[in-house]
Amino acid sequence: MNLFGFLLGIATLFIIGLGFIWVIRGERYFGYLWWPYVMAAGALCILGSLFMLNNWASSLIGALGASLIWGSTELKEQAVRGEIGWYPFRAKKILPPFEDAIKKWKAPSL
Amino acid sequence: MAINLLGFASAFATFLGVWLGHVAVRKIERETTNLWIPALIAFTMGFGFEVASFFVSSLYLSAMCGILGVTLLWDSFEFYRQQKRIKHGHAPANPKNPRHAKILAEYPVATIFDWLDRNPRGMAYSPTELASIKENEK
Repeated sequence: MNLFGFLLGIATLFIIGLGFIWVIRGERYFGYLWWPYVMAAGALCILGSLFMLNNWASSLIGALGASLIWGSTELKEQAVRGEIGWYPFRAKKILPPFEDAIKKWKAPSL
Repeated sequence: MAINLLGFASAFATFLGVWLGHVAVRKIERETTNLWIPALIAFTMGFGFEVASFFVSSLYLSAMCGILGVTLLWDSFEFYRQQKRIKHGHAPANPKNPRHAKILAEYPVATIFDWLDRNPRGMAYSPTELASIKENEK
């Protein structure tokens, strides 16, 4: 019997569940323009997981990285949800560095 | 230097699982008349992947089965949560689907309009603006 995959699946469920929370809260206080930073953080996690010799550390950081990349593509829709009143809206956002440049890019949404 | 691909395999399975959970669930819920059929298929597949994760000796396969399995088990409930979004008007109904047509008739806030198909503007919409957006869509 190999319990690794099952336990990792349960852990990943929590990582994805956490994604719902940070996407909602993060968008409310920071705004969707942070998406390139979140996406880069996710990519760095996946890259970093390659160099972790411990199997649990590598898998969990990899799953976290994928969840961050996915979350970065959810931020734009979450911003709209706030603006149309489905979630509490906060006008004052803590904006990211280079927000003007990021505004010119098309925010991903899957 | 040794490279551990387990994290990459986990990331791939997680992304695929979440993608299926979002995009495929939405699409299948939109087209299916009997929701219990895809829900049962997702549940059975999820359960099967979990069982498989116990018995495969490869850590890579075990990890991917374990992750895909839980996301599929989640998806079997997500079909019903998506139906709830249709009832609340938070996701667009498909009038060609008899199940959705019934929802459109029974729930006044249900709509074929996709509220999320717009760019953020940095400002909350007033109730008057929201009403006029919905009016223009009809």
